[in-house]
Amino acid sequence: MVKVFNLYKSYGGVSPVLADISFIINSGEFVFLTGQSGAGKTTLFKVLFGWERFNRGQILVGGLNISKLKSNNLYLLRRKIGFVFQDYKLLSRKTVFENVAFAQQIIGVDAKSVKTKTWNALKSVGLLKKKDSYPSQLSGGEQQRVSIARAVVNDPDLILADEPTGNLDSKVSKEILALFEQINLQGKTIIFATHSAEILREKKCRRLTLNRGKIISI
Amino acid sequence: MKSFIHNTFFSTILSIGSNKQLFFLSVTTNFIAFFVLGLFSLLFVNLNTLLSTWDKHVQLIIYLDDKISIANNKKIELLFKANKNIDSVVFTSRDQAWKLFQNDFSSSSKFITSLEFNPLPASYTIKFLAGINRLENIRKFSELVNSQKGVESIEYGEKWISKFEQFMIFLRGFIITFGALLFSGMILIIANTIKLSIYSRKDEIDLMSFLGATNSYIRTPLLLEGLLQGLFGALLALSAVKLVHLYIIYRFKETLESILRSVDFYFLTNSLAYSIIVIGCVIGILGSLLSVNQFLDNRNLE
Repeated sequence: MVKVFNLYKSYGGVSPVLADISFIINSGEFVFLTGQSGAGKTTLFKVLFGWERFNRGQILVGGLNISKLKSNNLYLLRRKIGFVFQDYKLLSRKTVFENVAFAQQIIGVDAKSVKTKTWNALKSVGLLKKKDSYPSQLSGGEQQRVSIARAVVNDPDLILADEPTGNLDSKVSKEILALFEQINLQGKTIIFATHSAEILREKKCRRLTLNRGKIISI
Repeated sequence: MKSFIHNTFFSTILSIGSNKQLFFLSVTTNFIAFFVLGLFSLLFVNLNTLLSTWDKHVQLIIYLDDKISIANNKKIELLFKANKNIDSVVFTSRDQAWKLFQNDFSSSSKFITSLEFNPLPASYTIKFLAGINRLENIRKFSELVNSQKGVESIEYGEKWISKFEQFMIFLRGFIITFGALLFSGMILIIANTIKLSIYSRKDEIDLMSFLGATNSYIRTPLLLEGLLQGLFGALLALSAVKLVHLYIIYRFKETLESILRSVDFYFLTNSLAYSIIVIGCVIGILGSLLSVNQFLDNRNLE
């Protein structure tokens, strides 16, 4: 699903943010991306997502070679990926339903399918009852569930979750993790960035550990 | 496609709605710029009409020496026949001129009727065929005739027509230069308005990009917003120029009649009015494109 070869990324400082890292993540895998703050987790996500350029190396996501992708065609890559943000990034003037529907409307899904898929996505994260609420009326955990529903509604192959439990308490974090496990069981590849020891203890799976831009464990 | 169109209109209306003040500020600025340009164009159109009307009435009058020989007179007449640009030639003898003069001025002055000799010369009144080079033809022919023996003087108001023509060339140049300056200024104004509009919706636009929207999906509503700013500015300006045109006709009817004689006071020509509308739209799109592309370039693969 994700193939990274000799990825090198530097902002021009003394040491690179990502120093010649290579790894492969297969379809259907659940992988934790761990490391201290500043280890390069977010930068790696930004590069995988086509949000930032890299200096050297090669990245293949779902068969797409990112370095050969023109900026006009980045949408092709982003449609293969569902992104879950630490700060949820929900639109405050849209309801829960509209926030999830928005992800489909912008890629041209027809209105009838939008309704059905949004309904199903909200059902899968247990938020159907709050479909008409606005983000400000929801708790942090609920907002993250909406964000997850939005990430999966277009049926992407890969989910990138950047510290999705970073703003949540321990109990809610475990619930969110359980939700990701459920999504993984449906065959989705998940890269879950976290530095929470509690979360890492909760689930036994493959870990990619970054330290100062280098992979120290695969 | 349906979803794309729906998004474009919905997103544009949403953006205008959430940035009403900015939108109206931009429309107002465009309105003022186009209004000034429109007024100058109105002035130009009417002065141009006046000039072409005057051009049509320009005639060459050749006054003959009282002692002109028959041979010299024939030579001059041959020149008339040889010139293909001449429309008509009317000869007025000294006696005819004197009678006409007396008829015209006898009621206003007893001095004229009491004169015992005829002070007026015989003359030829020549009208030229209409054409682009009409004035130039008259000028050349007058030079030719003036060099002939037996010609006392020539009259066709060359100096003031020439000055008026020069003024029209200056006015045309001024409008084009002024228009070009306004054009660049308005592009920057719209570009900045759209930039502010983008930054006020930055999170939403970023999210669209994250979620896989194409650049054209993000760009189109913003271009439409810019186009509407330019279009509304131009339409309002044309309406205001029309009101000024109607007001001038209503308020200064008699003054206009005495200045323009039988010529009407015109509004802008259709092609000029359409051009202003099209320029408004082009300015709106270009201004918007400038900001949107800059934003998207910064957002895609930084």
